[in-house]
This record gives sequence, C-alpha cells and structure tokens, in this order.
Amino acid sequence: MTGKEPLRLLLGPQRPTVNLDRALARSGIAEGPIAVVSAAWQEAEGDIDDVRRLLKSPLTDLGIYRKANELFDANKPLHDAYRLRQESLKEQQRLYRMRLRQLMIAARATLRTEGETTVIAAERRHAISQLRALDRHHLRQVGKIHGRFESAVNGDSNTHLDDVAAALAEQLSHFETVLITGGNIVVLINRLRLFGLHRLLREKNIIAWSAGAMVLCDRIVLFHDKLPQGRRDAEILSKGLGLLPRLVLLPNPTDRLRTRDLLRVSLFDRRFSPAICMTLDSGSFLLFEGETLRESAAAKRMTRNGTFKPVRPA
Amino acid sequence: MNPALRKLIRKPAPSPADIDAFIRDMEFPLVDGTDVTFVFRGEADAVYLRCWISGLDTAQPFQPLKGTDLWATTIELPKGSRIEYKFELVKDVHKELILDPLNDVVAHDPFGANSVCHAFGYERPEWTLHDSISRQGSLHTRHIESEAFSATREIQVYLPATFRDNRRYPLLIVHDGVDYLKYADLKIVLDNLTHRLEIPSVIVALIQSPDRLKEYSGDDRHARFIAEELLPFMNDAYPVADSAASRCLMGASFGGVASLHTAWRYPEHFGSLLLQSGSFAFSDIGRHNRGPVFDPVVRFMNEFREHPGTPAERIFMSCGMYESLIYENRSLVPHLQGKGVEVRFEEARDAHNWENWRDRQRIGLSWLMPGPAWMVYD
Repeated sequence: MTGKEPLRLLLGPQRPTVNLDRALARSGIAEGPIAVVSAAWQEAEGDIDDVRRLLKSPLTDLGIYRKANELFDANKPLHDAYRLRQESLKEQQRLYRMRLRQLMIAARATLRTEGETTVIAAERRHAISQLRALDRHHLRQVGKIHGRFESAVNGDSNTHLDDVAAALAEQLSHFETVLITGGNIVVLINRLRLFGLHRLLREKNIIAWSAGAMVLCDRIVLFHDKLPQGRRDAEILSKGLGLLPRLVLLPNPTDRLRTRDLLRVSLFDRRFSPAICMTLDSGSFLLFEGETLRESAAAKRMTRNGTFKPVRPA
Repeated sequence: MNPALRKLIRKPAPSPADIDAFIRDMEFPLVDGTDVTFVFRGEADAVYLRCWISGLDTAQPFQPLKGTDLWATTIELPKGSRIEYKFELVKDVHKELILDPLNDVVAHDPFGANSVCHAFGYERPEWTLHDSISRQGSLHTRHIESEAFSATREIQVYLPATFRDNRRYPLLIVHDGVDYLKYADLKIVLDNLTHRLEIPSVIVALIQSPDRLKEYSGDDRHARFIAEELLPFMNDAYPVADSAASRCLMGASFGGVASLHTAWRYPEHFGSLLLQSGSFAFSDIGRHNRGPVFDPVVRFMNEFREHPGTPAERIFMSCGMYESLIYENRSLVPHLQGKGVEVRFEEARDAHNWENWRDRQRIGLSWLMPGPAWMVYD
C-alpha cells in the first residue's frame, strides 16, 4: 500500500505482543534506511538491537537525547534557560491540575445526576464546556512558555543549538521513514521540539508506538487510572506534532484505564470531542495515510455512552 | 477452635507422637477465617499472649489443653490484620517474654524482635521484597558539623541508581533513617518504587538521633539542625532541587512529631510531610497521662493545634487502627484540612511497628512524590 501522502503506522506497546515487524510488512512503507528516535528511553537511548532483529532495514538512531545532554553540559546558559522553562511548565501544569480537579468533580457530578431534563442536559454541557475552556487556556499558556524559551535561545549562536539542529535536519533529509519508540513522552516531545524536528517530520513516513504515537497528535493527553496513589484525571501536557489532528491516542488501556467505568469513559470522550479517543493495546495498530485512517487492528474508540467500539477505517 | 486442634484434644489420650505430628503438619498461629489460635507447647504455670493491641487486653490467657503439654488461646482478628506478639511464660514466680517457638515469622525493631501473625487476608506487599530487576541505589555516609547540637552528626545519603550530577532531584529527609533501612526495608522500597516509575528518582537524607525521645519531641535544636544545617549541606553536596515543593520530611512515631515540628518552625521550607503513626499527643484540658517523656510533645502539639499555620502544602498520614495513637492521628486530619493543607490519611489493621510503616510507604511516597509512570508510555 503506497500513496501520495506519507504513511503513519501507529502501534500499541511492544510488550507483551510484538507486532512491529508484521504491521510494517503490511503497511506499504517501503523498505529502506530508517531513522530512529528513541529519546523517550532516556539513558537507554540507542539500545535498539531488539528493533534491528525485527526489521530488515538499516536503522540509524538520531541520538537526540544524548545530543541535548551534551549541549546542556557544554552550554550553561542554554541549560539554565531550559531548566527555567521546565520549572515554568511544571508550575503551569500544577496550577492547571489544581483547577482541573474542581471542574472534573463538577462535571462528574452533573453526569451522575439522574434524569434527562433540559435543565440537567444544559448543566452537563456547560460543565464540559468549562473543562474544554480550561484545557484550551492551559494549551495557550504552555505555548507561551515554549515561545518565550524558543525566542530566547533560537538564533543565539552562543548556544550552538542551531548548529546541532541543522546537522540533525541534514541527517534526517536522507531518510524517508522515521521510527519513534515509546517511553517518557515529556522527554520525547521536549527533545523533538528543542531541535525543531517537529517541523521536519511532516513529509516522512512514521512508524511509532505508544508515546511515539501520542506525540503525533495535535494534543498530548496524559492519563493513568491505575496509579498506586489512585486514579488521576487526564491532563493535557502540550501540543503534539499535529500530524494526526482530532485524535487522542491512549496506549496500553488495559493497564492504564478503568475501561468499565462508563461515567469516566463517557466524560473522557465528551471532554476531548470532536477528537476521537482511540486505544492502542499491545498487538494493535492503526495505519493512516496522511490524516486518513486506512487500516486498523484491535484498536478501539471511546463512545459518548462510556463504552468502546472497534475502530474501522472510513 | 481450630478443627485440627479440636480433633487432637478430643482423642482420649493424645500421644507425644500425635502432638509431634500435629505440630509438624500445621502452620502457627492457626488462622481460621477471623479466628486465630495461638499454641504453646511446654511446661509452665501460666501462659499469656502479649500483643499490645489497643482495645484488647494486654495479656490474653492461654488454656492448658487436657491430657497434653499444649496451651492455646483464640482471638478474633479482622480480615487484613497483621499483629506482632510474644508469649509470656510464668514459671513459679518468674515471668519471661519469648518469641512464639512455633512461628518463624519475626519482625525486628530497635528493641529486639516480635513474632508476627498474618491474619486472614494479609499479604506482605511484593514491592517490599528485593526485586532483582530493580536497579539498586547506593548509600553513602556523610558527616555534618552541627552547631545546633554542638556535635558531629553522621547521616546516610541514598542516591538513586540512575543518579547523574547534571540533574536536579527532590529531597526526602527521613527521621530514624537507619531504622527505616533496617526494619522497614526502606532501601528496597525506594529501589523498587523508583524502578517501577511510581516515585521519581529521589535523593534521601537518612538521619538518626542519639537521643530521639528528646530531640524528636518538639526540640528547636533539631528543627534548626534540619533547616539551617542539613538543608544547606545537602544543597551544597548534591544536586537537589532548591524549592520547598521538592522537599519532603518523613518520620514515624516521635519522628512524625519531629517532622511536623520542623516544618512548623520553618514554614515554606518543606512542601510535603509523610507522617506515620505520629505521637501527636495533646490535652484539651488538664494533664495528659502518657508519662513525662510526652511532656514536650504535648506542649508542642497544644501550641501547634492553637497556631498551626501551614507547615506544608501536602501531608500524608498513616496510623494503625490497633495503636493507642489512632485517636490523636484521626483528630489531626480535619484540623490540618481546616487550614487548607491537602491531607491523605490511611489506616491499617496493624499497630505501632516498623512493618506497618513499611507497608504504607508505597502509598505515602507515591502520593506525595508521584513518579513518571504518569508520563511513560512504553
């Protein structure tokens, strides 16, 4: 399967079920050298022997986690600016979380209220619109923090950031396909953004699993209902790469989501609508051509009534 | 009574071989649902079960089982309970406290050891056991010249397995830190929770007092040591994040009092507190009846309850239901919440001991310092 638009092959976690090789074989992505972004593995970046064993194509890890660390070590002002940005982002996230908690309590209470009168329906809609308004506000604030950082460091020859970014762009230009692994999504999006790779991936075929798939969406939604300290309300982290708009990807729902909690799932679906919330369990995959879903296996989508149904191509 | 024990003693004259077989085939104490039967075999004038559970008699008498050298007593323990106990043997006029000879499960503490009864429904959490997959952090001994105490204080510092000089880490300060390592498996817990991404990589300062009942009872010297000596030392020696939100004080019993007192004396220095079975004795009127060692604690707690301020933004508290301190801990929760502190309070069917504190570490640490599991999608 080949098309004019680049292909996006999205997979669930590669444990316990590995389906990278089989899914790639049926995706139509041409064999050839593949650039790898495994920055989400942090210190284990580049440890891709397992991936090599699965794929015939030669792999080159771009090493962006290591390159960022080297830059930070060599360039204190850049590191300080980066740290300052991270502190600001943490503070923004904390304040967002604080406000979100109250709105989620209210939204859940309206959904729990029995009856289908116009009064109740209006309050439900308004409670959810307030959630969405907060999510939008948070995204704007996060964008401003990134903007301040980028305008401070980009173009500053002292940082050597532009040099490294240009070298990476040149390196990437030799690849038609990029593979992005799962792992720590905050690290991943930060590194991609630091080197401006988010602007260079649009024309590439992309193979990605878990966190790697999540960053391709227009919004990155963090979620985990099964933490030791209890469930936590889903939070927007930041904008993603925007290659798959109106989509929220939820890897590993078996271990992370209370999928039988109808009210919780329903609220999740309504809050992020019109985006479609799709789950990616281990062994599942989604294949997009540009923004159009061409094929899916074992992926499910949330529904307004709190249940899940299989994802089917249009 | 346990069915196997009943069957044994209904025999007209159980032989020593019958009793040997019974002892060999059973696990002690005998747990039958919520009924737990303790068994002692041997010569004595009287035998008592000593288990220091608030609400039960301090000494439960055993009954001699006719025609045998067995003694037994049965108590009711609710599902999920874990208790520590000893047997008190009375021979002539002598009394002796011993471990249960038929039970190998033992818990250690600074005063020795106790036998442990796992009631129906209790299981030791697997994250408290060594896991070969978890990467191990390291412990380092450091010394601090303390003006507050006019003495050199030794501390242990735990560094996470993935420690890097160029990172910034949250700081956890643990009272009775060496005891936490010995008796509550704190290092194993830190290694496991860090590896499982349930807490972040964290630097831990483990302090130990030579005179904890005095220094941990609301002593200003101790608060000064922590805030004005230990914190600057850690800031200089290690890459710890320099913000209150990244600092947590932790302690059990009097260590809980010391944690609360330090945070109260130095507001805005610590973002969170982890308080286990805090000895938060107070008196609304008149004198308390906990003995003179509690005098300074009660003075502090009475003052704290009058002027609590905001010692920290988030406080995790836990306490055993079978502790005499459960009332004081429960009553502190709404008091703190009323001052805007975010409080999480966990109760357990356990008592004032290190394994109770061990078993509550995961929920406390992960609530106060959530790890990156939230951000990791493998």
